[in-house]
Amino acid sequence: MDIAVWSVAAPAVGSAFLASLVEVVEAFTIVLAVGTLRGWRPAAFGTIAALGVLGGLIALFGPLLDRLPLHLLQLVIGVLLLLFGMGWLRKAVLRAAGVIPLHDEEAIFASEAAQLAGVTDGSASLDWIAGLTAFKAVLLEGLEVVFIVIAVGAGHGLLWPASLGALAACVVILATGIAVHKPLAKVPENTLKFGVGVMLSAFGVFWTGEGLGSPGRVRTLRWRSLPRCFSRSVLLPHPGSGAP
Amino acid sequence: MSIVGDVFKELLGMFLTDARLTTSILSLVAIVGGLVAALPVEPFLAGGVLLFGCLAILVEAASREAKGRAHR
Repeated sequence: MDIAVWSVAAPAVGSAFLASLVEVVEAFTIVLAVGTLRGWRPAAFGTIAALGVLGGLIALFGPLLDRLPLHLLQLVIGVLLLLFGMGWLRKAVLRAAGVIPLHDEEAIFASEAAQLAGVTDGSASLDWIAGLTAFKAVLLEGLEVVFIVIAVGAGHGLLWPASLGALAACVVILATGIAVHKPLAKVPENTLKFGVGVMLSAFGVFWTGEGLGSPGRVRTLRWRSLPRCFSRSVLLPHPGSGAP
Repeated sequence: MSIVGDVFKELLGMFLTDARLTTSILSLVAIVGGLVAALPVEPFLAGGVLLFGCLAILVEAASREAKGRAHR
């Protein structure tokens, strides 16, 4: 693969990987609570069923998007990426500034465990509820991953590489989770969210600009300068510097 | 039905975290689209309005939320 292809593929795959890390950590906490309290069978069943639904969504909507006119697709995906990415960026900035509390995996684990412990129906329905809890957690967190994979991959034929980036994140978190066997509270979730927010917002500006005008209209702004503009605008160091 | 409802709530929440942020972004895109369609605007200028408009919207949204929470 030459440098030109990598310069397009690497941000897409990297965004899908990092965004998936954030979401998979959140889903893993709930699946872990289900597995610890109600056994691994319902947890695995719920997780696999949700992954199947999510895979089906990518298989359904990915190729469907390729049939849309390119400019319309770029504009729609660009605007959605702007809404989604700037929402993430806003939340990450507010969390880094201490305005809203950081995401606490251990507190979420404790809350889910307490909820599951409070259910006192028969054993069969307990397994059903536990499986459903895992299914819902993976499905809801996975929806964001599916959107990101489709958004960064569909416009320029990178659906499979972006999907592999997301899958790699799942494998990394699952392997780490199995090894430590507790909520992954030390993952720098907000730093990741900040970095992904910057990338998605930059993608959003790029694709919206491309969708609004003739090809190359926004390209003159230089794609590589867009993430730096976003990270500097919120007066925080560039995500590559290791902070916030 | 609860799962379907939660899925729709999640989808809506993905793009509508802050109604004013959403409205501002959509308005900016509409303005830039109007500029591109109606006037012979330089590509660099149209892209610049979009980029710096987004940055201004982001800073405004974050500082508005921070100020709002400080007053509560």
